[in-house]
Amino acid sequence: MCNTEQQWIAEAKTGNKNAFAKLVEKYQKPVYSVCYRMLGTPTAAEDAAQEAFIRAYQAIDRYDTSRSFATWVLSIASNYSIDQLKKKKVTILSIDNEKHSWLAPPDPGLSPEKAALEKEKLGQIQSLLTDLNEVDRAAVVLQYWHDYSYEEIADTLDLSSSAVKSRLFRARRLMAEKWQEMQLPSVPAVHSTAKRITHETSTI
Amino acid sequence: MKHQQYETWILLDTELDQDQHRDLQVHLKQCSQCQSLHLATHQIAHLFKNSPIPEPNPGFSTRWMTRMEKVENRKNRLILGTTISVISIATLLLLSSVGIQIRAGIAYFPQLMLEMITLVAKWIIFLNQLRDIVSPLFRVGMKLISPVWLYTLGFSLSGITGAWMLSLIKSRTIQRELHS
Ligand SMILES: [Zn+2]
Repeated sequence: MCNTEQQWIAEAKTGNKNAFAKLVEKYQKPVYSVCYRMLGTPTAAEDAAQEAFIRAYQAIDRYDTSRSFATWVLSIASNYSIDQLKKKKVTILSIDNEKHSWLAPPDPGLSPEKAALEKEKLGQIQSLLTDLNEVDRAAVVLQYWHDYSYEEIADTLDLSSSAVKSRLFRARRLMAEKWQEMQLPSVPAVHSTAKRITHETSTI
Repeated sequence: MKHQQYETWILLDTELDQDQHRDLQVHLKQCSQCQSLHLATHQIAHLFKNSPIPEPNPGFSTRWMTRMEKVENRKNRLILGTTISVISIATLLLLSSVGIQIRAGIAYFPQLMLEMITLVAKWIIFLNQLRDIVSPLFRVGMKLISPVWLYTLGFSLSGITGAWMLSLIKSRTIQRELHS
């Protein structure tokens, strides 16, 4: 954490909103990104990210400066998004249903082919995340996009390391199965347990 | 080794030593299920890592500032409203008790009750009208004056009212003593 950031935090702790706004400016992208991956729409992500920063500002007195500010604010954003998903049962919308989409070419300089490819990628990501439960989804988002270790995920989501491992194991298996289905849409997916049993009997 | 062990290594992206790595490679060649699981997890990781990073629209921190100010104003209004209500109720009770004390000597109980109810009703009407006048002033005041000053004003007014009540009681007592 740089000195300037520590100064902003110290000033924010005395009630200086402008100092906190600088922290908002600095961390808006990772916080928004977590909310977007969790909630799936720009509108919900904007609202959740804003709310996460409001909660962070209101709780700044309780922020322990020995901890990373990024981890702390991402923890607030993840937990808020989990609550939102549980409360409203927000479902990740498919790209076709997205009205406010920033998914329409993110970069105007992109060729139509590249833009279509990007759009397809995002569609695939959202379909992989849709089937995961809220906490598993948060663990996946933090691991893949924020390079969090098991311990950091455990700290952020208030879980034990072993719980994080078993959640990620389950989530990655589910995503792999879904991915295989997506790659072979015409072949009906065989139930994984059945496949496992067949395999195990063949390898014994 | 059991198939499940390889599956765990693949799904948890476990760091393997040389022997374990060789074991896994041998198993992958024999087992199509682990092979496709291995491929799928790699493709997913690649897809995730190479996806565009979502970004908020420009002006995010300005929007946060506006939203934060609204949240704070709402909270301040609530605190102010509660404080004013408490002060009003306290003043009402104080005035009623003074009213009872002053009239206790001359009135008999039913008349006293009737007068008390009338007094309370008049106070409610008075406070309602006062609120209609004062609340727009407060709304403007909230924007211009810090809540600390508004509290100070509220408490000073109730202090003055209390002092006035006490002096009234005192003067009544002196009057009674003089008459007797
Ligand atoms: Zn296998």
